[in-house]
Amino acid sequence: MSRFKNTFSDGVGFDTILVMIALGYLVLFSAFPLVYNIVMSMQEVDLFSLASFDRPFVGLDNYRDVLGRPETMQIFFNTVKFVGFSVAAQLAIGFGLAMFFQLDFPGNTWLRGLFLAGWIMPAIVVGGVWSWILAGDFGVLNHILLATGLGDEKIFWLSDPEFALYSVILANIWLGVPFNMILLSVGLSGISEDVYEAAQMDGATRIQRFFTITLPLMRAQLGAVISLGVIFTLQQFDLFASLTQGGPSNASNVFQYWSWQLSFQNYEIGVGSVISVLMILFVVLVAAVYVRSTRHEHVA
Amino acid sequence: MRGNDVKRYGLLALALLFVGIYLFPLYWMYVTALKSNSEIFAIPPTFWPRDPQWIVMDVWQRMKMDVYLRNSLIIAFGVTVIVTMTGTGCAYVLARIRNRWMDAVLFTVLMMQVLPSSLMITPIFVVFNQVGLSEYPRLSVILAQAAKVLPLYIVLCRATFLQVPKELEEAARVDGNSRVGAFLTIIVPLARNGILVTSVLIFLQSFGEYVYSRSLITQRALQPATVGLQSFMGPNSSDWAGVMTYSAIYVTPILIVFVLLQRQIVSGLTSGALK
Repeated sequence: MSRFKNTFSDGVGFDTILVMIALGYLVLFSAFPLVYNIVMSMQEVDLFSLASFDRPFVGLDNYRDVLGRPETMQIFFNTVKFVGFSVAAQLAIGFGLAMFFQLDFPGNTWLRGLFLAGWIMPAIVVGGVWSWILAGDFGVLNHILLATGLGDEKIFWLSDPEFALYSVILANIWLGVPFNMILLSVGLSGISEDVYEAAQMDGATRIQRFFTITLPLMRAQLGAVISLGVIFTLQQFDLFASLTQGGPSNASNVFQYWSWQLSFQNYEIGVGSVISVLMILFVVLVAAVYVRSTRHEHVA
Repeated sequence: MRGNDVKRYGLLALALLFVGIYLFPLYWMYVTALKSNSEIFAIPPTFWPRDPQWIVMDVWQRMKMDVYLRNSLIIAFGVTVIVTMTGTGCAYVLARIRNRWMDAVLFTVLMMQVLPSSLMITPIFVVFNQVGLSEYPRLSVILAQAAKVLPLYIVLCRATFLQVPKELEEAARVDGNSRVGAFLTIIVPLARNGILVTSVLIFLQSFGEYVYSRSLITQRALQPATVGLQSFMGPNSSDWAGVMTYSAIYVTPILIVFVLLQRQIVSGLTSGALK
């Protein structure tokens, strides 16, 4: 009996219990819903059969239903655009700012840290502020564009199907830049000053130094930041809720928002879980690639 | 020497310009909150309030912010308690032991970290309905959100525990401490700062949680501030002074905590995400 007790206070049992508590929680509240989701995607689930455990099994009908809907292709391309433009711009701006704040001037790290104020804010509030900035008639962005001559007429950012998706992308870039910048700054500060000095002595220009030193040495960090960018962008829901609600007529809808709409506004829960299953599969795939790539860095 | 100084202050000016452009939305929120309703719709817009109004008390009462913020605090507090209670030990073990099993656990945790809330809510909603948890909507949100942020907490805390030298624990064991004793009296106190900052991060994230609350809480009196704000921003809303004042009241405490802990948050975040 005392030996039994000793394992827990002193031996392997102690480690096992600590891990099991957290893992158990995650299995109960993440892994189980995940599996349940797959089951539901093959059932007919609506408001009436919600609470019942015996729901009609429909095989892959829900999957066929989703693929056959006319809006599916549009929403697919919106999702690709949303992720592509957001990640590319976050990366470009974040990398540029990271290199700028690497320069030597008073207060550089402190000022750089201020950017994270954007990251720490609840996304729903960020969406609210942007929807006021982007407002058609009284929005400040339209005023600035008109006053500086960059635009020649008012743009109804949130209600014009041409612009609605880009409005959400704009707000999402704003949210993502700080995180990109901070992670890339860590990588940049890891590059030794000597390498640059040596290259400079050999007569390499600033641009040459960027392409032959900075970029290759930052490859691992860039890979990590891009994967994380894709993952975070696919998690973005709050901005859609507060800016466009996916509208007008799906012009700015993406899969992660559509899935929620199907489940919670149309109560087509079975169909909603189909999209949820497919998207989660994709996100986990990206995450697995990211984890594997960082692992390799450690071995190397 | 002079030329170098000019360059450094030139860069500083440029940096201030970048920060200014980036933080403009925040500035615009505060300025709008101070404007009168007629000034808000002035053309051209004013960039400094001509006649500042202080409608904080009015908005606080009219929009029932005390109820919303209390719910947000309850949710954030509940999530933080669950996450620190279940996650700290796991983070410690993952930092101490490296074998095939622990690698698998770490991998699982990392995979759980990336699951988007808006996609997880569909099964969570149905399961919670079936087991009767929907009777306790705020508890439902706390449980679901804790599962969402627990992996992040484990990853960031693990980075903290990695910095605590193993020798200190071994010394404590030689002195006759059990592993439980060494963990609670030596390791946790040494990793205190990291645990604290990570908990604050988790708290702030849950304080701004939206998807789960929106989907699981239908009663107004139980909804948090995010859902409340959203309900005041209908498509035809023109109460921008109210909405921006609400936002300002909501985020100012978050921003104050952030400014106070800026340095620690930045280092905690970077060590966790890249290792």
